[in-house]
Amino acid sequence: MNLVIIDYGSGNLRSVENAFKNSIRTNNLKVTVKVTNSLNIISKADYLVLPGVGSFPDCKKGLQKIDGLIDLLTNQVIYKRKKFLGICVGMQLMVNSSLEKQNTLGFGWLNGKFKKIKTNGLDYLGREYKIPHMGWNNLQIKDKNHPLLKNITENEQYYFVHSYGLENYEQDQIKAYTNYSVNIPAIIGKENYVGVQFHPEKSGNSGQKFIYNWLKWLP
Amino acid sequence: MLSTRVIPCLDVHNGRTVKGINFVNLKDAGDPVEQAKKYSTLGADEICFLDISATNEKRKAMLTVISKTAEACFVPLTVGGGVKNIADFRDMLNSGADKVSINSSAVYNPRLINESSDKFGNQCVVLAIDAVENKIMPSGYEVTTHGGRKKTNIDVLKWAKKGVKNGAGEILLTSMNSDGTKQGYNLKLTKLISENVSVPVIASGGAGHPNDMVKVVLEAGASAVLAASVFHYGIHSIYSVKREMLRNGISIRDCENKNE
Repeated sequence: MNLVIIDYGSGNLRSVENAFKNSIRTNNLKVTVKVTNSLNIISKADYLVLPGVGSFPDCKKGLQKIDGLIDLLTNQVIYKRKKFLGICVGMQLMVNSSLEKQNTLGFGWLNGKFKKIKTNGLDYLGREYKIPHMGWNNLQIKDKNHPLLKNITENEQYYFVHSYGLENYEQDQIKAYTNYSVNIPAIIGKENYVGVQFHPEKSGNSGQKFIYNWLKWLP
Repeated sequence: MLSTRVIPCLDVHNGRTVKGINFVNLKDAGDPVEQAKKYSTLGADEICFLDISATNEKRKAMLTVISKTAEACFVPLTVGGGVKNIADFRDMLNSGADKVSINSSAVYNPRLINESSDKFGNQCVVLAIDAVENKIMPSGYEVTTHGGRKKTNIDVLKWAKKGVKNGAGEILLTSMNSDGTKQGYNLKLTKLISENVSVPVIASGGAGHPNDMVKVVLEAGASAVLAASVFHYGIHSIYSVKREMLRNGISIRDCENKNE
């Protein structure tokens, strides 16, 4: 199988590549990894990973600069049903839109809109909540039988860094939440495509477990 | 629940970890890549590298250190020291850094905060502030550069607020008066900044005992605690710090008690 990490000029591609390669190596999986923006290579991939750091509009612009990329992704993921993972802003792009900076349309594969996280009250130590939501946080698993969550418990933590959270979503598209004053969708998805608000590539052993589950997943 | 992060910091000079007081009498203290791996295994929630090389030529060694670390450590990696412009920023991020901390260069060119956060996102711009006590300043603290040696006549609180407004996603706050003393973090300074900015504040300078970490979280509102020598010399482990934090009701990410 060959996996493509889509390079559209956004951030931490090296970290994503390293983390997937590590999982492939330690588990003896037969998967090759390429980082590319070539439409030809992307269209021949078996698995697709869309990372994303920075702002939603900037990532959208980066994708649009590669002529035909967004249409190709929709074709590959929705019609050809290729396994897909969106990470952080890569996950945010999967839904209808985001209000970060300005209203920007996403791919519209899932319902929902990203809005600035609205915390209320004080945290467990009596302090104001900081934004971005930055650091290690637990999952509240909704879809306990989902193969992506195999061997992952609610005691484990994942690394988050974001200021916008998904709202106006459909309940059955949420696989797990995280809690930061409010419940924020942490894993969303449908059929063969899934997105994570956290960074599995930066989430230590827990992240490696998720990546392994995703690589083994047969949607 | 969001965990309070425990961050070990390594000073790197020409690609090697060094130890010394106030950047003088530097002693070679090993390979930063191996040490980062060890810290990551022992439960570090993030790794911080501070490059103190004096020349651009030698700084290239830092990029190799970053890329080797990023191949083996799957926790966030913050790198600072000598970052002067967008090109330096990009080099570090492309090598595998997740966040870049800027200090002197932001003081002399505050636009760098706007430019870098516009380009790479607020989440990877860490504004590092080296504060010294100065009663003449409105907040009582003055921003310094060059490891505390150069004064700037800039008020720390004003600078922190400006940095956040311009796009910094996090503040790494070092008390130069406490740094190296092992007498505890500067609680007054940390509280002043953490209560007045919206972004997370990493407390730095003065950690000598796990209880210092507890105090700066409970009494001064730090979102993360950074320390160098206590971890480096094995005086205290990441595990012992986290255990003490947990005992005091602070949420931490679990780590195993492994021998160092």
